[in-house]
Amino acid sequence: MTEKPDHLQEFLARLADEEAAQFITDGVLSGKDNVPYIALNQSTEPLPESPRRRTGPVRDLIDDAMYMHKDHSPTQADAWLAPRLHAVLRLTRAEAADPALWNYLALGVAPDFVVWRHFSEKRKTVNARYFKGPHYKQALARLWWSAELFRDGPDYEPVVAACGNQDMLNTVLRLDVIDHRPTAQALVRLLQRGVVRTGREANALGKAVNAAAATLMYDVIAPDVQRDAGAVRRWIDEGEQGGTVLHRALPAGPADGRAPEDSVERLTNHFSELFEEARVRGREENHEETEVD
Amino acid sequence: MKVFPYPRLRGTVSLRVDAARVKAPERSREQLDSRARSVVERVVALGMAETEDWDTATLTVSATIPSKATEPGAPWSDIAVVAVLTDRSTNTRVTSRLASDAESGREWRGELQMLRSDLSDRADLTVQVVATVEGVPGRIVGEASDDWIIDVGSDVPTREQSFEIKEVGFAKGPRRLQNFTDAPWIVNTSGALPTVHINTDFEGMTDVLEAEGRGPEGLVNAMMVSQMAADVWIAVFHSAIGDLEIEADGTPLFPYGWQGEVLREMLADVVPDRTLEDALREVHRRRVGATGWAELQPRIQYAAMRRAEVPRALLETVRGLEKLKREDEA
Repeated sequence: MTEKPDHLQEFLARLADEEAAQFITDGVLSGKDNVPYIALNQSTEPLPESPRRRTGPVRDLIDDAMYMHKDHSPTQADAWLAPRLHAVLRLTRAEAADPALWNYLALGVAPDFVVWRHFSEKRKTVNARYFKGPHYKQALARLWWSAELFRDGPDYEPVVAACGNQDMLNTVLRLDVIDHRPTAQALVRLLQRGVVRTGREANALGKAVNAAAATLMYDVIAPDVQRDAGAVRRWIDEGEQGGTVLHRALPAGPADGRAPEDSVERLTNHFSELFEEARVRGREENHEETEVD
Repeated sequence: MKVFPYPRLRGTVSLRVDAARVKAPERSREQLDSRARSVVERVVALGMAETEDWDTATLTVSATIPSKATEPGAPWSDIAVVAVLTDRSTNTRVTSRLASDAESGREWRGELQMLRSDLSDRADLTVQVVATVEGVPGRIVGEASDDWIIDVGSDVPTREQSFEIKEVGFAKGPRRLQNFTDAPWIVNTSGALPTVHINTDFEGMTDVLEAEGRGPEGLVNAMMVSQMAADVWIAVFHSAIGDLEIEADGTPLFPYGWQGEVLREMLADVVPDRTLEDALREVHRRRVGATGWAELQPRIQYAAMRRAEVPRALLETVRGLEKLKREDEA
């Protein structure tokens, strides 16, 4: 299996898509070859050097995640890693929208993690999109964005709940509806309350909520408040000044305000009804299918 | 056409950005010049701001909705008009309720504030009309027919994004270009915008690039530019079609950004007489299916050539040469 990089640059860098493609070989994807780190590091573009862009803390976190979950299914590492990765990286959304950063993290900092976490025993390989892919798929981007979109202000608890259900991560993360914070919080609340339990149920819920959003504006039914403009900046400045993130306790995210409680509660009730209808309909459809068979 | 299980607003909802201002921390706010907005193209270029380190921008948005919306006897109540700003690349959505002028109920106005750190490049602005219909609150009964683009970086308010052109010596340029030292140009389609790298190490390239007018160099320049453009169109079409997202039932989805624009633009020539969705499905089927991809190539070349205006460039070159010849003879 892929080994951890024998040479790590001190600071995070960019690895443009056209550069990244040449390093995603069959050998790397099947875990047989290591990434050629010297060539890779020559292909990167530097980002401004600052304490928050040190690669060391990210690598330490990856090592810890793999060690702690070595006896379990690697999927269980997601819920532990997502909030901590978010807290260690301290990025703005604009910075996180750059695929070149995620390419570098996957190939230059944590290729062994990508292979460990996403290796398909059936196909004996890793889907290349976990190295270089959209935000809801790429191995590290999906964790960062799930933390960003499911956190409730500084509170990462909802992230832990969301990442504990793979369909929440895989299906719901790519839906536009969760860009509305009370919607994201309400979906998590249904998980926390046990209304939605399995991956299949989370999937059905996400789809029902997304479909309903074509005719309903959740922003009007359940208004959000404006995010505190300075909070993210202050939180990032903490990182610039070299603040560290503890691994054991759940860290705190940027204090940019929580989603209004009454909005979240209203949507939770609404989604709960939608989910019930979808489930009933799903049963009827399944029933019909069995009859056809 | 979509069918909705409840009454919808008929008529046009229109949207305008009347003003834009930016603000940096501990600095006074800057009202952007009206040249930062194009009402015709429906674009705001925030890059025109002189305050370079601005962190919030505020738009003054107004919307006009049909008077039927607020007339007595309308099949709804609690009309709200909401401005919606979305940036897909940062998963950001900001909404703001507009307020109506008491008189007609047609004009609505309000402000929408956005954080620069939440936007990466271009955000979309639209407006939706929402009401309580048949007891259901929050129903979307109408939306703006045309959206606006809020461009964070650009200092020109235009909708069209042409490809980027970078002049660079390949021999000593970035490593990936060093493989192509004997090529006059290379098209790269994997970034946020397609880029043409022009090799300034190629002999005579800088002279041709600077040439204009009806002289021989000018003719070569025009010919080369259209050839390059054709290369770009072919390359962007192939990259866009090669990177489609596919629904569970096998239906390919139109991508966002330039990839989507390229496909919408070219599909009409690649698979004529079909709806765009049908054409996309057909092209995708041919590419991944057992047969038909090779047969499609002439159509792709044709679509690219038309857009790059290769026929016009070639005709003008031929005529230009003829003219030069006559002048020589005279």
